Amino acid sequence: MSGVLALNRPIASAWRLRLPGPDTFWAAAFALPYAAIFLFFVLYPVIFGFWLGSSPALYTELFSSPLYLTALANTLIFVGIGVNLKMALAFLLSGFFMRKRKWVKALLVIFILPWATPALPAFMSIHWMLNGEWGFLNSVLDALFGIDGPIWLIDRWLALGADLAAYIWKQLPFWTVIFLAGRMSVPRELYEAADVDGATGFRRFVHVTVPLQANLYLVCTLLSTIWTFGDFNTITFISGGGPSMSTEVLATLGIRYAFTMSVPSLGVAAVLSALPLLVPIMVLLMRKLRTSDVQL
Amino acid sequence: MVNMGRRTAIAGSFATAALSRPYIANAANSTAVVWQVQGFVQEEDAAFRKTVADYEKLSGNKIDLSVMPFQALNQKAVAALTSGDVPDLIFHDAPTTLLPQNAWDDKLEDVSDVVEAQKSKLSATALLNASFYNGRTKKRAFYLAPIKQSCAPFHIWGDLIDKAGFDLKDAPKTWDAFWDFFKPVQTALRAKGMRKMYALGLQITTVGPNDGNGLFAHFLIANGGQDIVTKDGKLHTDDPKVREAAIKSVEFMTKCYKDGFVPPEALSWNDADDNNAYHEKLFVMNFDGTLSPELAMIKNQKQYHEAVVRGLPLRNDGSIMPAQLGAGGGFIPKGAKNIAVAKEFMTYFMRPEVMNENLKNGLGRWVPAIPSIVKEDPWWLDTKLDPHRSAYVHEAVLGPTIAQYNGFNPAWGKVAAEQIWGQCHADVIKSNMTASQAVDKAFKRVEEIFSRVVFG
Repeated sequence: MSGVLALNRPIASAWRLRLPGPDTFWAAAFALPYAAIFLFFVLYPVIFGFWLGSSPALYTELFSSPLYLTALANTLIFVGIGVNLKMALAFLLSGFFMRKRKWVKALLVIFILPWATPALPAFMSIHWMLNGEWGFLNSVLDALFGIDGPIWLIDRWLALGADLAAYIWKQLPFWTVIFLAGRMSVPRELYEAADVDGATGFRRFVHVTVPLQANLYLVCTLLSTIWTFGDFNTITFISGGGPSMSTEVLATLGIRYAFTMSVPSLGVAAVLSALPLLVPIMVLLMRKLRTSDVQL
Repeated sequence: MVNMGRRTAIAGSFATAALSRPYIANAANSTAVVWQVQGFVQEEDAAFRKTVADYEKLSGNKIDLSVMPFQALNQKAVAALTSGDVPDLIFHDAPTTLLPQNAWDDKLEDVSDVVEAQKSKLSATALLNASFYNGRTKKRAFYLAPIKQSCAPFHIWGDLIDKAGFDLKDAPKTWDAFWDFFKPVQTALRAKGMRKMYALGLQITTVGPNDGNGLFAHFLIANGGQDIVTKDGKLHTDDPKVREAAIKSVEFMTKCYKDGFVPPEALSWNDADDNNAYHEKLFVMNFDGTLSPELAMIKNQKQYHEAVVRGLPLRNDGSIMPAQLGAGGGFIPKGAKNIAVAKEFMTYFMRPEVMNENLKNGLGRWVPAIPSIVKEDPWWLDTKLDPHRSAYVHEAVLGPTIAQYNGFNPAWGKVAAEQIWGQCHADVIKSNMTASQAVDKAFKRVEEIFSRVVFG
């Protein structure tokens, strides 16, 4: 590890050495537009957001709301189960899609469709499919088995389950393709060597694939966790946060406070309250990215 | 490759900057930036564009118009008012939390001078819906230049009533009994094989955003509890009459649900769900704002004429029931660069002939804030021209009306946003609370929210 880090230093020095006066100017000129964009569209909104949500009174109001604790618990459930189940399934499925048969390749194209479909119409369709009286799902249950399906969206756990299912359905293809790319980058010789040593099937998966993909898996999981904390669409368009706001998460609660109640500072406070959970994940992600840089 | 020197690069940068100048230079004093909410039917947008074009021709000023859907405009308006980068005028439908909250926070321009020109002609409800309390100046003023109003009428499938062997003329004249009239219609239709038909599109939703709150307010009014919030912004949950009205309302609605006359899904309906289900004829009647359910199918004349619009019956005590109206119009954010043109445009728009033409071109989905318009122009009440409009206009303009509670106290908007009334129904339906227990729980939360808003 130290050897690789040591390699990085001369590269950095060489970069500086090869940038005399005019080159430095051009480097700065090319970097300037990005720096300006970063300043105005990243740094400024973040600082503005912190400023908006800086009053302690906002947090007193937030924590006294009966909605907040429910939203916090739902966020943890949604992110915890959603991300981990999705990533585990994606990892397993990526192994299946490594097969070289033509029908598997064709299936992969179909499998990617949910990711390619625009989120809003897809979620609105699912919302209607879940209608307890006239929805597609219960109509199928009625037609095939003569049973009345549940009224999915008026029960907290069924509604949250529907949110999770829709979230996994939408996101699974993307992460499967990422893991597929990760698996494809593993040299075939390693698997051949494992075969020679008698490691096949499950043992090969445990002793070759898992160690080689572990870092990628962790980085992807951390990244997906950060993204999912901000997922507004799934909850809004599947369960609408209902019934009785029992499936609301921090992202949707923030939007409700900001735009339905027209109190943006309270909305920002709801979202900022997730920072104690998000910051450690971001720090861990940065550390893992540094590690992966060394490994590569 | 061309070898560019430092001077060339700097000159190029200035040239780029110079090229972008004319856009800013065009924003002269005669141009006002206006954000308009997209209409439900495209005729509303065409009507607004015509009003703008007529004004531009008359005044020589220019309106830089952007049209946005309701939710998008709401979000953009909140963002603009928060950041201070605002348009000159926002023309919006019934912005029930946006206006009271931002008027309270002193983020809107006082448009009393605009309203003053037509004040004597505007309805008392329109004036109430246009005025809000400013928490900084400690007084109430006009922050909305009202153009249009809407109420919630009953939307009924007349053909389903006929099919069930009933006659709408036999419908009782009081509130609860009127709703009850549709229950045997469901039974009859189910007996004819319509297995999943329901009687009532009763939006006892816990999701919102608006329909469930409007429905509960009307039940309160029907049961004599309309003074839950009074014009002075005070909450009256301690008034036994209000409490009794709330309990009766919750009892009636939850019984309809428990007895199977309301689609079970109604607890989780969003604002579009009941409309979609109504258009699919999955229930017999719906109580919903404006004429949008009918206008959505105006191109299908068969369906358009199968629908029937009815105004409000009497209250349960037999007295005349006022309709609660929502308002729409223009408001000016503080920090707007061209307040003069924005105010002049709204002054022009509020002229009765301009208001009338605009709302007629928008197919009458909204009614005028000036009642004399509908009395003087037969277009509004002639049933030969349209089968639905007259009933709607009678309810929203010619009958007694009251303003929405949001304008009296911004806390009411927060109560609505928390879907407290939907939750109250859910407590009875799902948690087996009694109506009085559920109402007491809801009132406690409402009192907590109101306690944070203190009038000077």
